[in-house]
Amino acid sequence: MSMATFTVPTVTQQPGNNDDLVEKVTVKNLDFYYGDHRALKNINVSLYHGKVTAFIGPSGCGKSTFLRILNRMYDLYPNQRATGTVRLDNDDILAPGQDLNLLRAKVGMVFQKPTPFPMTIYENIAFGIRLYEKLPKSELDDRVRHALSRAALWDEVKDKLGANGLSLSGGQQQRLCIARTVAVRPEVILFDEPCSALDPISTAKIEELIDELKEDYTIAIVTHNMQQAARVSDFTAFMYLGELVEYGETTRMFTTPSDRRTQDYITGRFG
Amino acid sequence: MAVMISGASSPLYAKRRRKNVITMALSYAATGFGLTWLALILGVLFYEGFSGLSLAVFTQMTPPPGSAGGLLNPIMGSLVMTFIAVLIGTPLGILAGTYLAEYGRYDKLSTVVRFINDILLSAPSIVIGLFVYEILVATMGHFSGWAGSVALAVIVVPVVVRTTEDMLTLVPDTLREAAASIGLPRSLMIQKVAYRAARAGMITGVLLAVARISGETAPLLFTALNNQFWSTDMNAPVSSLPVVIFQFALSPYKDWQDLAWTGALIITLAVLALSITARFLGGQSKKS
Amino acid sequence: MVDVAYQGGGAITAAEKVDRAKVLQRLRFSDSSFRWLTRVAAITVLIILSGIIISLVHGSWPALSKFGFNFLIEESWNPVTEQFGAIAPIYGTVVTSIIAMLIAVPVGLFIALFLTELCLMWLRRPIGIAIELLAGIPSIIYGIWGLFVFAPFLQQHVQPFLISAFGHVPVLSTLFEGPPYGIGILTAGLILAIMVLPFITSISRDVFEAVPPMLKESAYGLGCTTWEVARYVVLPFTRVGVIGGVMLALGRALGETMAVTFVIGNAHRISGSILAPGTTISATIANEFTEAVGDIYTSSLIALGLILFVITFIVLAFARLMLMRLNARLGS
Repeated sequence: MSMATFTVPTVTQQPGNNDDLVEKVTVKNLDFYYGDHRALKNINVSLYHGKVTAFIGPSGCGKSTFLRILNRMYDLYPNQRATGTVRLDNDDILAPGQDLNLLRAKVGMVFQKPTPFPMTIYENIAFGIRLYEKLPKSELDDRVRHALSRAALWDEVKDKLGANGLSLSGGQQQRLCIARTVAVRPEVILFDEPCSALDPISTAKIEELIDELKEDYTIAIVTHNMQQAARVSDFTAFMYLGELVEYGETTRMFTTPSDRRTQDYITGRFG
Repeated sequence: MAVMISGASSPLYAKRRRKNVITMALSYAATGFGLTWLALILGVLFYEGFSGLSLAVFTQMTPPPGSAGGLLNPIMGSLVMTFIAVLIGTPLGILAGTYLAEYGRYDKLSTVVRFINDILLSAPSIVIGLFVYEILVATMGHFSGWAGSVALAVIVVPVVVRTTEDMLTLVPDTLREAAASIGLPRSLMIQKVAYRAARAGMITGVLLAVARISGETAPLLFTALNNQFWSTDMNAPVSSLPVVIFQFALSPYKDWQDLAWTGALIITLAVLALSITARFLGGQSKKS
Repeated sequence: MVDVAYQGGGAITAAEKVDRAKVLQRLRFSDSSFRWLTRVAAITVLIILSGIIISLVHGSWPALSKFGFNFLIEESWNPVTEQFGAIAPIYGTVVTSIIAMLIAVPVGLFIALFLTELCLMWLRRPIGIAIELLAGIPSIIYGIWGLFVFAPFLQQHVQPFLISAFGHVPVLSTLFEGPPYGIGILTAGLILAIMVLPFITSISRDVFEAVPPMLKESAYGLGCTTWEVARYVVLPFTRVGVIGGVMLALGRALGETMAVTFVIGNAHRISGSILAPGTTISATIANEFTEAVGDIYTSSLIALGLILFVITFIVLAFARLMLMRLNARLGS
């Protein structure tokens, strides 16, 4: 495959004002083990409020594994553990005694495959809200409407809130999941390859959504689609074989990467 | 020059062909054999039992030999004991199945419980009857409807454990993770998301358990015993349809034998209805 | 554009964060209670099994301590002199089950073969369901059907034929000796065969369908006939599962009560002929338990129950181990 037929992804993000950055999540010396196998090696990275950080890399490089540490999703399974520190604001989320449910309310996640709950569209959203707050019906309705609007889904479902969540199309289901996550008012939102199961039009809609959402949240997105990373993110981290090879502003990463491996991946030499 | 495929008409090939034809014929025959017995049994059952089916069967009590009557008290007794057995056995079974599929999915206790549960699933029901006799009848000094219900409950539990675990295991982990990702505590994730997703299958399990105990006779023989008269006292012997059929069929009286056939038909229809409903529900859940 | 300044949906305030933490704190108790409850329920299953074993041992102790090992080999069963021996019921249980398996295993396997290879697609589900219905029919139905329909049929048409056919064959004549009662060991075995057949079919069918199509296709591609594919590819591949299914069916046959009680004849003796009446463990208990007078009598019956439980436990445990091994192999 000749290099001449491959185009380096065009960065469409403005190289925005990255001076007054608010560090939201700080990862230091993070290792992750599946049993005895060390899957992540010495990861050091930061996520900033109001910015989107993309994690790219070939299959199996550990980017999804990394993402799932940020809300301690791995805790649901035996034989998986993490060492190091991950600070959310000033809390080390890896410390023992953490209230994991509280953490996961703060750090929301949107998955690769849309997973609406087996309930009505309204219930899917209201469910999470009701968990934490006792609201009168009118206020709950408002909150549901707001969440669905933020996910750019309201106009499409406002007349069928009582329909089952599974009756929506794939793209709509994913936006429902985003609305569900947003309804619980997290501070960080993690996107794990959110568009890989969707058609290009739905993908474009969701990328637009992420751009609108990022103002109020800290967003991390794992994607195997470099063009998507270039379109959507402010910062990009390149991972390879469990290591964080390089990390920086997206514009710089895609035009002048420092590490040879990053350059090879971005120009399509492997991956 | 075309090469002939050797062996196409050799004696070896003919022998193989013949063997194949014979075994295929045997397969057809075996299936016909099985289906014939089904037809014979159900046919005779309907033929013998149907003529006795009348309103009287459902409104009158069991008669002494030589007079007319119905099956009201055994039907009631069966319904009540089945209901109580389901009331006791289902929550226990669902909770245990939940442990196996959720909290304890990977631990040692679950491996042992699964193994033991599968053995209980196929254990001879008469042994269950002996067990309940020892712990409830011998200790209390008398037979009772409670003992009968408990014996049936012991049969219900492994069925519900198995179907609950199987159905919950079918719920994809991504759904659980989605629930966890909004901060839902584990118990609520199970109760509000997993149960809801597995609901149809779990109900199927309960229906199958009811179908199973509807026809069970052995565990009731020396727990609830039998009762000729109408009784609402669960602390005393209670009559049940299977036990009455047992008693009447083995008796030399024609009226009793006729009632036995009718009772058998009633049980079979109930079991068939439950199985069909269960299968229908199970089919629905597979579609969604 | 969305009104981001909307009060309730905007960024979360510190006070709301505290409230949220409180809610989750409160939920902790019910969360761990539920978890504890499920664990207790799981342990209860173990308790039930232990309870069964303990109560059976406890109940049979008087008889076992009186008769000792002889209990297993004594034939006499005399409530009057209080001499009880288990060999006749054990013999009946084993022989009826063997007869049942001898018929049910080949027939069941052939039906499974039919359903997976020969049957028209649209017929597969209905016929499969029909065969499973056989398993759903309660055993007491088999009992009365056996007593009023099957036994007389055997008595009038089949047994005389068997007696005359084998009457002069040296060894087999003892097997088919005696007057045609209709009821007896053979009848019980035949009815058990019909009852147990759907279990073998259903499990075999499941494992046959799990054979990777590529495996079968490579055999067909060599020119194998359907039978040869079944015999040399499918059966060896599914051998462990089939054995597991057979053991399961055997466990069922051993423990079956009502169908057998009606047609076994309830004679406490061992005879060489399978046309003769006999008894099985479960039939003995079912018939005699409520009339048993005296501790030793009751205890002997419970001892029979213990023996039955031990036999079926061993068979079922073996079946489960086979099926677990199969699942492990198919999973990998």
